[in-house]
Amino acid sequence: MGWLRRAWITVASEVAWRIPGRPQRLLHAFSLAERGSMVDVLFAAEATPRRDLRRKYFLHALDEGRHARVFADRVRALGRGDRAEAAVEDSGQLVEAGISGGLTLFERLGEDDFLAFVYVAEADAVEQFGVYLDRGLADPDTALELRTILKDEVFHVSYSRAELERMRKDGKPVDRMVRNRRLRRLWERYLRLTRDIGARVSGVWLTLLYFVALGPFRLVARLERGGWHPVPPRAPDALAAARAEG
Amino acid sequence: MATWILGVSALYHDAAVALLRDGVVVAAVQEERFSRLKHDAALPVRAARWCMAEAGIGPEDLDWLVFYEKPLRKFERILSTSVATFPRSWASFPRQMHAWLGDKLWLRGNLCSTFGVRPEKVLFCEHHLSHAASAFYGSPHDNAAVLCVDGVGEWATTSLWRGRGHTLEPVGEVRWPHSLGLYYSAITAHLGFMVNEGEFKVMGMAAYGRPRFDPQLAQLLRLEADGAFSVDLDAFRWHWHPTEAAGPRLAELVGPARFPGTPFTPELAPGDASPAQVAESQRHADIAATAQRQVEAAMLHLAHHAKAQVGGDALCLAGGVALNSVANHRLAAQGPFAHLWVHPAPGDAGGALGAAWWVWHQVLGHPRGAVLDRADLGRSTPRARSKDWLDDLGAHPVDVGDEAPERAAADLAAGRVVGWLEGRCEWGPRALGHRSILADPREAQMRDRVNAHVKYREPFRPFAPSVIAAAAGEWFDIPPAAAAPARFMLSTGPVRGDRRESLGAVTHVDGTARVHVVDPETSPAYHRLIAHFGELTGVPAVLNTSFNLKGEPVVATAVDAMATFVRSGLDVLYVDGYRVESR
Ligand SMILES: [Fe+2]
Ligand SMILES: [Fe+2]
Ligand SMILES: [Fe+2]
Repeated sequence: MGWLRRAWITVASEVAWRIPGRPQRLLHAFSLAERGSMVDVLFAAEATPRRDLRRKYFLHALDEGRHARVFADRVRALGRGDRAEAAVEDSGQLVEAGISGGLTLFERLGEDDFLAFVYVAEADAVEQFGVYLDRGLADPDTALELRTILKDEVFHVSYSRAELERMRKDGKPVDRMVRNRRLRRLWERYLRLTRDIGARVSGVWLTLLYFVALGPFRLVARLERGGWHPVPPRAPDALAAARAEG
Repeated sequence: MATWILGVSALYHDAAVALLRDGVVVAAVQEERFSRLKHDAALPVRAARWCMAEAGIGPEDLDWLVFYEKPLRKFERILSTSVATFPRSWASFPRQMHAWLGDKLWLRGNLCSTFGVRPEKVLFCEHHLSHAASAFYGSPHDNAAVLCVDGVGEWATTSLWRGRGHTLEPVGEVRWPHSLGLYYSAITAHLGFMVNEGEFKVMGMAAYGRPRFDPQLAQLLRLEADGAFSVDLDAFRWHWHPTEAAGPRLAELVGPARFPGTPFTPELAPGDASPAQVAESQRHADIAATAQRQVEAAMLHLAHHAKAQVGGDALCLAGGVALNSVANHRLAAQGPFAHLWVHPAPGDAGGALGAAWWVWHQVLGHPRGAVLDRADLGRSTPRARSKDWLDDLGAHPVDVGDEAPERAAADLAAGRVVGWLEGRCEWGPRALGHRSILADPREAQMRDRVNAHVKYREPFRPFAPSVIAAAAGEWFDIPPAAAAPARFMLSTGPVRGDRRESLGAVTHVDGTARVHVVDPETSPAYHRLIAHFGELTGVPAVLNTSFNLKGEPVVATAVDAMATFVRSGLDVLYVDGYRVESR
C-alpha cells in the first residue's frame, strides 16, 4: 500500500505546485494544520501523566508552532493570494484543532493511541515533504525551509516510534494500533469528502428551495428602516417567556 | 439550598459560561482559555466543566441553564432577510440554512445533551437583554440608562433600556440590517483585517490619520434626527452576501481596500517607505480615523437620546462596540452622563453572565447584589501543579513566594520584559494584571521591542499602561465619568502633557493611552508590583499587554505560559510566585 500512497502524493503534489496561486493555498493550509497540531500536542504536554514525555511533547509543540510561522511567512513572500485567507494569515488565528465535544485529541485517544497518531501523522508529513524536495517542486526558498522543517519532523517520528517500540516490549499490539490509526485517517478523509459532497448536494436543494419557495414572498418582505423602533412590551409571565426559544 | 444558574453564550463568537450561586459570580470564563482557539464559538463544554468543578457541583445541581439569545427569533430574522433581499441572497441562503438545519435549530436538545441538564431547566434570554443585564446588574447604579451596541443579536443591533432596581425595561431598539458594529467591521475588512478581531487595529491606526473622508463616509452612516442612526444599505451587503460586508461603493468613495499584511507606513511613522507607500498608508489611516470619529459621534448621539428618554446620571454600556475605548472616553468626557459603567466583557462572552443575572434578578425577582469590581473570575491552576509542570519542562522555577511583585518590579526596572501570571485569568478580552506581559513604560524603544520581538505584532499598535489608583490623576487626564471603565482598561484618554516624556512606551502617537487604573483592594499583588516599580523609578505605572502571541488567546496555564515564554523574547516569567529566567 505504501507505494500507492506515495504515487498518489507524487501526482497530487506535481499538479498542486504547478497551478499558479496554488502553492500559496497549500502553504496556507499547512500553516493552519501546523498551528492546529501545535495546540493538540500542547494539550498532551499538559495532560500526560508521564513526566518524561511532557518535555518531548512540549518541544514538539514548539516545533509545530515554528513551522506554522515559517509556512505563513512563505505565503506572504510568494505574494498575493486569496484576500480572505490572507486576512486569516495576517491575524495569526487558529481556525481549528483536534478538539471535539469538549475533549482534546489526547483525551479522546489516550496516551498510547495518541502516540500512534503522532507517529502516523508525522511519518506522512515526512513522506509528503520528502516528495516536494525530491522532485524539486517547491521554490528554492521554500525548499530551504522545508529541509529544516523535515529535520524536526524526523525528530517527531523518531520519539514517537521509540515510544511505540517501548510499548511493543510491554506486549501492546503496536502494529495493530498503527494500522488502525492509518485506517482511521483514511476514514476521516473519506468522511470529510462525503460531508463536502453532502453539503454540495444539500446546497443545490436549498438553492432550489430558495428560488421556488422564497421568491413569491419577495413582495411582502421589507428590510427594516434605520432609526429607533419601539419594542413590544414583554409578556407578564417572565418564566414562561424565558422558556421560549423564539 | 443555594440556587445555581449557568449562563452560556456560544455559536457566534467568543463562547463563554458564567456560574452564579444565589446571584453571586462563582466563575466566568471564555471557552478560548481552554481550547486555545481564539474567539472559539463552540459550545463551551470545557469552560462549564471547569466552573462547576471549581464550585464543587455537578450538572444535576444546576437549577437553571440560560442561553444568551433566542435562537428561533434569530432564525426568523435570517429567513425574512433572505426573502427581503431575494434574489441577491441566493448564495448566502444555502450556507446559512445548512448551518441552522445541521445544528443551531436544535439548540435546546444540544444544550441538554452537552451540559447534562433536563429540558425544563433550559431558558433563553434575548441577545441584547443579555448584554443589558451584563452592564446593569454588575454596576453600582440603582437607576441607569443602559445602552447596548453590537453587530447584531436576534433583530436588535442597538438597544436602549431603563434599569431600575432589579428590573430592565426596554425603551427602543435599532434593527438589523442597520448596525453600527457591522459598519465598523466592514471598515475593518476594507482595511485588510479579520472581522471580529482586527477592530482594535483600526482603532490603533486611526490615531495616525485625519478624518478627511468625512464627507464620503457620512453618506454611508447617517445620524438620524430621532436620536439613532441608519446605514446606506446599497453600499453594504452584510445582510445578503455570504462573505463580503461592503460593496463597490465604499471603494469608490475612499479608494481600494488594503490587502492584508501590507506594511503600514503613514506620515507619522514612514520608516523607509517610498512616498507612494506613505501616501497609501496615510489614506488607510485616514479611513480608520474617519470611521472611528463616526462611531464616536454615533455613540454620543445615542447617549444624548438615552439621556432624553431615560434621564438619570448613569449610563451602562455593553455590546461589542463598548470595547471601543476611544469612544468610551469621548462619552465620558463629552457625553451627558456623570457616570459611565462598562461591563469588563462587553462582547458576546459577557452575554453569558448577563443572561444568568437576568434569570436571578428579573425572572426570579431577587434584589440587586454586589458590584462587579474585579475581572479575575476565570481559570486558575493549583500552585503545586504549575510547579510540577514547570519542573518537567526544564524551566528550573525558583520559588520567590510572596515577594514575586517586588522581584518582578525590580526585573522591570532593570529593563527586562516580564511574563506575569497570577491567580485567576481575566473575564473579558483585556489582561488586567493576571495574565499580562509587563515592561518598563518609560522609553519608546520598549514599545517597539515588545511589538517586534515579544509579541510579533504590528508596529503601529499601542500598549496600555497600568497605573496605581492613587497616582492615576497625576499622570493621566481621566474624566470622572471614566473612572469605572478605566479599571477594566476600557477607556482611552490623554496622558498629561508633562508626563508624556516619562511614558514613551505607552503614549500613542496622538498623546493618549488606554489607561488601566489598578485598585489596591481588588488587585493587591499587581498593585504592589506597580507601586514598587514606582518606588524604584519614580514612575508608578508599567506597560501592560495581554500575555499571548498574535492570533492566540491569552494564556491560561503554566504550560501555555511556557509555550509563549519560549517562543517570544520575554526575559522572565512569573507563575504564581515561581520565577523562571529565560536561557
Ligand atoms: Fe510540522
Ligand atoms: Fe511534526
Ligand atoms: Fe452581541
